[in-house]
Amino acid sequence: MRKNRISTQTIILYAGVSLLLFINLFPFYLVFVGSLQPHADILRGATKLIPVNFTLKNYVVLFRISGGSPFSTFVLNSIKVAIGAALLSTVVATIGAYGLSRYQFYGKEVIGRMLLLVYVFPTIVVVVPVYDIMAKLRLVDSHLGLILIHTALTAPFCTWLLRSFFDSVPRELEEAGLVDGCSRWKAFLHIVVPISAAGMLTTAIYSMVASWGEYTFVMMLIDSGSKKTVPLGLSAYMQTYGNIEWGKLLAGTALNVIPIVVIFLPLARYFLKGFMEGALK
Amino acid sequence: MLPVSFFVAFFLIYPFLITVRTSLYFTAFGFGEMEFCGLGNFFSLFQDEVFITGLKNSFVWTLGSVALQLTIPLGLAMLLNREFRGGMVAKSVMLIPWITPLVGIAMMTKWILEPQLGFANKILLQIGLIKQPINFLGSPTFALPSLLIISSWRFIPFGTLLLLAALQTIPPSVYDAMKVDGANSWQTFRFLIFPMIGSMIGFVFFLAFAWNFNTFGLIWITTKGGPVNSTNTLPVLIYRRAFRIFNMGESAAVATLIGIFLIAVGFVFFKYIWKRET
Repeated sequence: MRKNRISTQTIILYAGVSLLLFINLFPFYLVFVGSLQPHADILRGATKLIPVNFTLKNYVVLFRISGGSPFSTFVLNSIKVAIGAALLSTVVATIGAYGLSRYQFYGKEVIGRMLLLVYVFPTIVVVVPVYDIMAKLRLVDSHLGLILIHTALTAPFCTWLLRSFFDSVPRELEEAGLVDGCSRWKAFLHIVVPISAAGMLTTAIYSMVASWGEYTFVMMLIDSGSKKTVPLGLSAYMQTYGNIEWGKLLAGTALNVIPIVVIFLPLARYFLKGFMEGALK
Repeated sequence: MLPVSFFVAFFLIYPFLITVRTSLYFTAFGFGEMEFCGLGNFFSLFQDEVFITGLKNSFVWTLGSVALQLTIPLGLAMLLNREFRGGMVAKSVMLIPWITPLVGIAMMTKWILEPQLGFANKILLQIGLIKQPINFLGSPTFALPSLLIISSWRFIPFGTLLLLAALQTIPPSVYDAMKVDGANSWQTFRFLIFPMIGSMIGFVFFLAFAWNFNTFGLIWITTKGGPVNSTNTLPVLIYRRAFRIFNMGESAAVATLIGIFLIAVGFVFFKYIWKRET
């Protein structure tokens, strides 16, 4: 009797999970499978759920040319900006989080909360002034400008995440290091950093993913076709009205999503852990 | 602390102050000719039908999103709150919609909801629910609800995992104790689960509220606020006022209202709902 009940529950659980995963993943499959079919079929609405007329032509076209700059340029730009933002943001967040975790000062909790508030900051309300600031710094239409603004967007949240990692490193370890004659800096570098490596990786990945997908500021700040990142390049294919180039668009979307998923999924566990430790504490 | 503060102050707080200042001027571009007008922009906004529509849309959008994005994750989290084979993998894979870049989601939406080519219409036609293909994003009736569902679809996995983490802090023995005492499922929820994860529910509520209130990219890429302003929420309005109509003063006024409103919500949240145990 009891065993029976459990197995019904298990069936409900697995059915639920399968349905959930199906809802979560099927749209991606539709895009991916569409991108592997001939452009003519796409335009006739004749795409099949299983690619009968399998072709990679959409991808080939995508990399050959796309309104001036080939798609590979966008990818390289995106990689450059995302890595830049990830590095800068991690360094900035590490310094901030270490300070928050180790030093007592007035208004510490308030600052901690402010960081979280920035996480949900409505970027749209500062788009225009940020453009002006960037213009004054001569950083409009440059990747450095993007790296800076992406860092400003992600570093606060990274700080918040990292703080909980640093909090979990026992102070005694560092103090032992100090007693043994390390400088504060050395103790930090040789004791705290290795222990919190997972946390730092998490924050770096988070900034990278966020920067890779950021659209609003890229749209505002970048003019030249050769400097566009993937999101902007992609949306440009769509804005040629009446003549949406679905083949390129689907292939490009697939290529926009796949690297992120490949990089992020193995680390999702750490990310979740970090997020929850930060959120639950 | 210094570097983070610098970035936040220089690229977010200082610009917001500029926005607030701009909102007090009649100006087309935010530079050049600027005429001080006090609260004039705010007054003209509240007499502007488009702004009122935007306000309504934002209201419906945020409320609808929060409703979906709080209840569904709560249900899912309770379903998933047990050990099972492949659980870790399922949880990671679930996150894919959430980490997918916005533009990817927007493209996918356009493709699947496309009236002639999209899969959604094909299915609906085939099972006979509709006779004519629906132009989901091109109809004033369907555009907002469609985008609402997409946006929630993206947030739900994330909300679920947050709530799940909170649920997992409740030791299983407590459930058993409740059961022995004769509590039914509602009582278990009301007196055990809710008090234990209330703070996390508040957190998810806050995230969902703020994120949805600010949604710009998804709407801008897919519908640009149309058709007939039906998806014109306040963030979209800010952008349109600034770069389509060139009324920077009013755009900044909307931005100021949004900014102050969210700061107020954040303040209330941290003051009364968020309890950080130390």
